[in-house]
Amino acid sequence: MVNFKYLIIGGGVAGVTAAETIRQSDTVGTIAIVSDEPYLLYSRVMLSKPNFFLGKVPFDQVWLKGEGWYKEKNIIFLGGKTVNNLDTIQKKVGLTDGDFISYQKLLIATGTSTRKANVPGADKKSVHYLRSLEDGKGIMENIKTAKNAVTVGGGFIGFEMADLMQLAGLQTTVVLREPFFWDPTLDSASGSIIEKAMEKVGVKILHTNEIVEIVGGENVEGVVLKDGTKIACEVIIFGIGTESHIDWVKTAGLKTNRGIVADEFMKTNAEDVWTAGDITEYKDLLLEENVQMGNWVSAHEQGRIAGLGMVDKKEAFKFVSFYTTQGFGLSVAFVGDVTPGKDRMIISRGSIETDSLARIYIVGSELVGATLINRTQEMGTISKLIGQNIDVSAKHSELADANFDLNKLLT
Amino acid sequence: MADQKEYLRNRADSQIGKIVIDRDLCIGAASCLAVAGATYELDGENKVVVTNADSVDDATLTMSAESCPTKAILLFDKSGKQVFPK
Repeated sequence: MVNFKYLIIGGGVAGVTAAETIRQSDTVGTIAIVSDEPYLLYSRVMLSKPNFFLGKVPFDQVWLKGEGWYKEKNIIFLGGKTVNNLDTIQKKVGLTDGDFISYQKLLIATGTSTRKANVPGADKKSVHYLRSLEDGKGIMENIKTAKNAVTVGGGFIGFEMADLMQLAGLQTTVVLREPFFWDPTLDSASGSIIEKAMEKVGVKILHTNEIVEIVGGENVEGVVLKDGTKIACEVIIFGIGTESHIDWVKTAGLKTNRGIVADEFMKTNAEDVWTAGDITEYKDLLLEENVQMGNWVSAHEQGRIAGLGMVDKKEAFKFVSFYTTQGFGLSVAFVGDVTPGKDRMIISRGSIETDSLARIYIVGSELVGATLINRTQEMGTISKLIGQNIDVSAKHSELADANFDLNKLLT
Repeated sequence: MADQKEYLRNRADSQIGKIVIDRDLCIGAASCLAVAGATYELDGENKVVVTNADSVDDATLTMSAESCPTKAILLFDKSGKQVFPK
């Protein structure tokens, strides 16, 4: 059985950043990355960006690390292999091909999977999800001939894919279960700014509806909605959330909830096992609760923290997470904790009329998060206000004043 | 012609003389802000601008460029040779 000092499961940004961090401190210990995809590190973020998708930047820009980098850092890449078994006592993992690999220190950074649609016809070609490079290639190929697209879901993937489809010249229909786009993370005012921008370029939005059947032969020819509406389309893209595939981890005795549970050092409850990236439900020191965050920036930082822990240079993850996107002429950013349904005060900043609206989330005397539409220039400052635990209890009117310079609140 | 903005760096302890932001590539993912928050800001177009080119050491600056999911940050040494992306 082959043995590595540091074994990393998952070849995305969390795993690769961890490997790089480990190598900075341990120049000789063996490091291997096992990935279920055949590819070296690529930009998952780029997959849904118009410049890349529509060929304005060369395809090869998607590669972030080449073979030379892995060789130079002496990191072994084992691609196209899936781990489905873990033994934390004997310190080994089992692969679906029957092989075993033993480790001294293990990192699980497998990411999440896309939630699949459960309707008749969902297995047809040209029904797409977006997670991997393979998924992206499939969509790119498909839109060359398609004329009509349906996108499902009112989140980041739905927003970016609808933008891409209309930029690619397809008549695009968005199907939402919710009453407005990005509900419940955004409020209806913010949602209306987004929908107005989408409709302005000809995207149709159907609310409180869902697909009950996908029709056609081998390929998609259309969809039937709950209310009986039929829409002809040749491509469907679902952006309806993610799932964590962690049964094998749970069986091994690791503490799991929706993701793999970790402390603020990205350490699991099992000896010599860490976790990082989207799959991780970590202890967030700023929010004082367990959080699972699916984005590039957070995965990068979690990989670094896990890597440091694996070389006994423990550092706590204390990070204000954020995610931004742009499309339909709008920029959208979420900062910190904007999880809906929690009891918190929300201050609006800006207006529908100006197409510029922030919503600032407050718990007690401090900011915990914000949603920003066309105000991304305030993201850096808001991150600092959250991270520095600045008392804003006497500043609510300033926060609500769209022209007030938030930098003045930083001490 | 690519839309690129150049920022000169004048740290005595640095091998890096210039930071270039390719605004066509930048998507405002802002991973660079996470690594080196004192160096970068997002502007109103959701693109990164350098506000203080001298604020962090070379290792941190390089990591901030490496963290970019679109390779929009280019680093040059003091002789003008591109050092990242290689």
